[in-house]
Amino acid sequence: MYKAAMLTKDLVAASSKPLLLSILAGGESYGYEIIQKVRELSGGQIEWSDGMLYPVLHRLERDGLIDSEWKEADTGRERKYYFISSDGRKALKTERRQWLAVHNSLCKLWKIKPVSI
Amino acid sequence: MAGRSQLPVQIMENQTRFDLNAAVENWRNELAAQPNLASDDRRELETHLRDAIAGFQQRGLNDEESFWLARRRVGQPQPLGEEFEKADPVKIWRERACWMVTAILAAFLLGNISTSFATIIVSEFPSVSKLTTGTTLSLLFWLLQISGIMILLMRVHTRERLSMLAPFFQNRFRLAITAISVVLTIEVFCAAILFWAYVAFQGDYSPGGPFAFIGNFMIHSVIRELGLVAILVWLMPTQNQKAPKRA
Repeated sequence: MYKAAMLTKDLVAASSKPLLLSILAGGESYGYEIIQKVRELSGGQIEWSDGMLYPVLHRLERDGLIDSEWKEADTGRERKYYFISSDGRKALKTERRQWLAVHNSLCKLWKIKPVSI
Repeated sequence: MAGRSQLPVQIMENQTRFDLNAAVENWRNELAAQPNLASDDRRELETHLRDAIAGFQQRGLNDEESFWLARRRVGQPQPLGEEFEKADPVKIWRERACWMVTAILAAFLLGNISTSFATIIVSEFPSVSKLTTGTTLSLLFWLLQISGIMILLMRVHTRERLSMLAPFFQNRFRLAITAISVVLTIEVFCAAILFWAYVAFQGDYSPGGPFAFIGNFMIHSVIRELGLVAILVWLMPTQNQKAPKRA
């Protein structure tokens, strides 16, 4: 599904949901901006194939976790903006707990300081 | 980046200036050939392509380089289509059904126009009725109109012309108003022609005669067509209708 430079395909697929929900929890955004942000955040380690982002967004939208709206940007160009729904925020909380649980287990095994959940 | 070495040969040979708009138009046509991409999906991918092109241009690349890199970034149409369909299989069928219902509605309306014209020609020019029946003539008119519309649709490539009509179809309410007005206008027009052909021309004003016949014919047509309008309005993609609620 993704072209992953560093992360394995499965890991990229699994992490797309919490990543997208977290980005949208910080404010509405559109596909191109989201891709740029992910690239920037991961320092290029998470490389998504641009077009494949949209089916993932559409799936989240179908599940009711995000909503979308065509809007005109300042440049006069229309873009489809996505934003998180209240169900999306709930889902993000669950995702966060689960990812941190995995993270902390690994931290303990690797003798790194865990983070508080 | 690797994008440069993969430019198609004809671009290399062709020394004329690179036309970005034409390239985007070609790309759009390629995307439109994918049966599993809904028009909304294609529009979304196009905005992405344009954003990506602008991004590369800002980094100092020329039009041609920006276009090819952006195109690579967005991805191949076929795998994209497959993934989009998997994400929302109902969407594309909804769109297809929408077009089918529109075509059926158009066929009905054109059928009624054809019948009206055939009727008036047969009753006004008795010599025509020696050559052919009203039904055959009506079918002929109908085929002519259908072919005319087909040719027109094939000619209209540019989105700009079609987008002029967009305000009439922006949401369910407007679509309903537009469709109902078109149906009623055409049916009243047909009724007027039939009335002229039967009543005024033949001078038959008997209450049980042409009046009842035309009235019956029109009521049946209108009910059938408004039924189709209702299906069309129901099928219309629901996006952009409600003001989305932000959490």
